[in-house]
Amino acid sequence: MENVSPPTPPPPPPSEGASGDALSLTTAYEPLVLMELIQRLKVRDVMTHSVVSVERCIPLWEAQRLMKEKHISGIPVVEEGRLFGLVSMEDIICAIEGGYIAQPCGHYMTTKLVVLEDDMPLSFAIHYFDRFHFGRFPVLNRDRLLVGIVCQRDINRALLDELSKEFSRMEKSVARSTPPDIGPTTYMLREFPVAKYDFENAGKAANAIKTAMLERKFPPKMVRRVAVAAYELEINLVVHSDGGMLTWQIGNGRSEVVAQDKGPGIEDVAWACRDGTSTANEWIRSLGFGAGLGLVNVKRVSDSFEITSKVGVGTTVRSIVNIGAPLEEQE
Amino acid sequence: MTVQDAISVLNAELIASGEGLLKKVNHIVASDLMSDVLLVDEEDMLLLTSLASDQVLRTAQIVGAAAVIVVNGKSLPSSMKKVAADLGMTLAIAKQSKFDTCIALHQRMTS
Repeated sequence: MENVSPPTPPPPPPSEGASGDALSLTTAYEPLVLMELIQRLKVRDVMTHSVVSVERCIPLWEAQRLMKEKHISGIPVVEEGRLFGLVSMEDIICAIEGGYIAQPCGHYMTTKLVVLEDDMPLSFAIHYFDRFHFGRFPVLNRDRLLVGIVCQRDINRALLDELSKEFSRMEKSVARSTPPDIGPTTYMLREFPVAKYDFENAGKAANAIKTAMLERKFPPKMVRRVAVAAYELEINLVVHSDGGMLTWQIGNGRSEVVAQDKGPGIEDVAWACRDGTSTANEWIRSLGFGAGLGLVNVKRVSDSFEITSKVGVGTTVRSIVNIGAPLEEQE
Repeated sequence: MTVQDAISVLNAELIASGEGLLKKVNHIVASDLMSDVLLVDEEDMLLLTSLASDQVLRTAQIVGAAAVIVVNGKSLPSSMKKVAADLGMTLAIAKQSKFDTCIALHQRMTS
């Protein structure tokens, strides 16, 4: 039998993948909820786990039979969990035309493979489909063993499921009664999901809040205070939390920004609120953050500041700024 | 001194021309720590930094800075030009160090 070397998985997509420049879903204009989803979901969350495969010694006609029976257009060639190649529909057609359909898969399989890793964000998978135009990608784990296969249909199904859950949650959120501390005249409510370590999008929520307030002609000094609070809280969610939600509402002359995360929680809240204290690592500091000034700064620009936290549960920070009325109403 | 004047004094390379290009600069902040920049309460400031990242531009937009000048002739990630254009932020690169940039601009402002 011909000795075929296992394919070498390519490195994760280069900076273009990380920046999102080449994605079909461009980060600049897609809804934040969708961008959060494709960052949060991993390839393992959407892939098909039970993979139909063959060994190298299996004849091509057997692979053809399996593909017909299972309604699949490609079949990985695997031995002891390691991926050696892939037999595609095109390989089968060539084998029939060339008269070598009885030969082993190992001789004629496609060996130049592009694979995904199971812990890559879904955005990488979308990028790969856009970049390589393949119908499917084998998925390897960190030990380089085949653990799944992903096609575009898997991605569509997972995104629809998750979006459905998200819409249902948003509908409940909008329908809930107005919090008593913001008053009955609330006329704007926005929610921004924020993903852990998503520096690519960090700051977009605060920018959107600032833009919305300027468009409604609130006093610039007030807009600045709200924007600074929102930005610091958004960066905190990205840097320190496992992901969460930034909620902003205005009404009754007040702006309220609430950052609520899903963990890990703060052990000593008083310490965390002290000037210059931070648990940020060197990577975060190299990005210009993590000096331990964030919460202090939120407190500085807020008329009312609250923080509650429980380890293992999460943290909620609330910043209220008395913004008054829009300038045109004042006139 | 306008942002355009500052770019001219430093012989800096203009990467993105935003609405702040012709604004008058009354305050200059030189920092690589965005948390420090967020503490400054001056509108239309000029931000000098050796940090080349998208977050510099987002921070500048939040505090209402007129422009960002990246010092030390740093090469910028490709995304920065696009983010600057999206935010309408003026962005330039100066070859000088942060210290020399500050000296040059101070001399121009006090002359």
